[in-house]
Amino acid sequence: MTTIFYAEPELVIAYGRKVLFLNPNDLQIFKDIELPADLTSCGLKITAPEISEEQQSTSEGKGTDGGKVEVAILNVCYSPDRQLIALTTAGQKALLLYKSRPEHAKLLSVRALARASSAMTFAADSSSVLVTDKTGDCYQYDCVEVNALPRLLLGHLSIVYDILWTPDQKHIITSDRDDKIRVTNYPATFDIHSYCLGHKEFVSGLALLTEEHLLSVSGDKTLRLWNYLSGMELLHHDLPAPAVRLHMRELLPAKRYQAAVQFYDHIEAIGLYELEQTNNIWTVACEQLVRAEAGSWNISNFALTSDMIYVAGAVNEHLALRVYNASDGEQAKTVPAGWLDMVTGSFSDQTCVPEDLSVWFKKRYDNVSDYMERKKRRIEGQQQK
Amino acid sequence: MVTNKKEDEALSTTSAVTGLPQKRFYRQRAHSNPIADHSFDYPARPEDVDWRSLYPSINDEQQVEFADIGCGYGGFLVTLGEMYPKKLSIGMEIRVKVSDYVVDRIAALRLKNSETAAYQNIACIRTNAMKYLPNYFRKSQLEKMFFLYPDPHFKRAKHKWRIINQALLSEYAYVLRTGGLVYTMTDVEDLHKWIVSHMTQHPLYERLSDEATKADPITPKLYQSSEEGAKVVRNKGDHFLAIFRRI
Repeated sequence: MTTIFYAEPELVIAYGRKVLFLNPNDLQIFKDIELPADLTSCGLKITAPEISEEQQSTSEGKGTDGGKVEVAILNVCYSPDRQLIALTTAGQKALLLYKSRPEHAKLLSVRALARASSAMTFAADSSSVLVTDKTGDCYQYDCVEVNALPRLLLGHLSIVYDILWTPDQKHIITSDRDDKIRVTNYPATFDIHSYCLGHKEFVSGLALLTEEHLLSVSGDKTLRLWNYLSGMELLHHDLPAPAVRLHMRELLPAKRYQAAVQFYDHIEAIGLYELEQTNNIWTVACEQLVRAEAGSWNISNFALTSDMIYVAGAVNEHLALRVYNASDGEQAKTVPAGWLDMVTGSFSDQTCVPEDLSVWFKKRYDNVSDYMERKKRRIEGQQQK
Repeated sequence: MVTNKKEDEALSTTSAVTGLPQKRFYRQRAHSNPIADHSFDYPARPEDVDWRSLYPSINDEQQVEFADIGCGYGGFLVTLGEMYPKKLSIGMEIRVKVSDYVVDRIAALRLKNSETAAYQNIACIRTNAMKYLPNYFRKSQLEKMFFLYPDPHFKRAKHKWRIINQALLSEYAYVLRTGGLVYTMTDVEDLHKWIVSHMTQHPLYERLSDEATKADPITPKLYQSSEEGAKVVRNKGDHFLAIFRRI
């Protein structure tokens, strides 16, 4: 999965085993992280699941037995105080924590994950990170005690696509493939506060607007705004296609926000929506679609700055990056010469395989009609006797 | 008295002797994967449920308060309806044929008892209770939940399919009101230990004492009224009962 996001002044791009922290305005690379092909060499302990305690690799770089697995970065997150960088990997499933310094990133710890991560978020005070996985479990990893074991906080019954922690840390909000948005209390995570129900397909993105308002996007082609404490839906906006990602920028606190939505399988790749609150009523003030040459290449993720959209994807199985103006959706002309080549060049040694998102949709099949047909025929047969 | 079309149709698969549907036409294997996608028409939220289609004579103030999770062929649900005629009870069953049997059975019972308007207070829906309880019930709506002879899913890899697990207990606590009761019954001792261990560990439940368990009028009905329970008695198996209060 390609990760790309903007953490001013750095643009962060991650794929495969590499993370780049770039200056979007010139050819400067602030820092980079490159993971070894085998994470046991930096301290990952791999335990065989539930079988025996003896199969632990030592940290002397012996490597795992039973086949090499490709290490691939899944999620990357900056802590709110910018002191820490967390990243999760697939293949050898791990959570790595780095201390972020202006010049480089220093590895603090490597902890094993039970399953590949699906979403990740930091606490508002940067003290811990929450990681969810494809079975819906959500674990808390301490970032002060960097080697502490994870705590299982809560579980969904299907993959959790996004997770948020409210700034006051009183609630954790998660969304899953079964159309649910769940608001759970923290630290009493066994106590569910409310649900925001209404979506009819997987809920792929969440964003917090104010202390009470939550934005969500779904495969059901809607963008919805909720009072998440009461579970009430306040705004319902139709989208041209199923949504698979949401990024949000605050334009005016408590008043105006910009939501950027990535679409699945649509001629326009990204939609930009400006949400405005006046007299407690929310509306979509303006809407703009960015084509981003969708269809000609495989788009996997994007990042939003105040004036540019950086779209990452794959062309000929290699990572490709294109930049567009947020104002009109046209290809940006102000990108420094050689910048794009520098970026794609850094990832040229890694094959970029596009993710198949069609599996996110629920397979609906009918196991009732056949039965009802047969029942009807049986009854008719009996009545004729 | 309110009737619906279902009751007329139900007559056709019925036995000429009892007037009730015959189980042999509705047999289905006991196990089911609750995590896989199934074709369910489930409501997006409780506000969207058409309760009148399930309970024809429901009035606006009434809401479902008893839920039999995995109601099977409906034996216990019928007993519950008889014991508490003023309460609305619902049975939830994931298997197509089995839930259809219960729907037909209720329709037939209503028709047979049209004089007294009995059995208007029970209904069955085909759904996956592990995923969709919050879609049907508001927070703190239910007074009682029944998990009678749930599928033990013996293999370790299938343990996460068990209907009682740590994550789901939080969801059940959400739909259950404070002071509400969870009744669990099984003939598999390992499953009973699993259930007791998980529910005791969960901060929102406390187990009822033996005296309180014996004093509950529902307790004697748990053994025989459900088809599974009757089978266990016939085979001289053990019953393991645990009742918990949602605190």
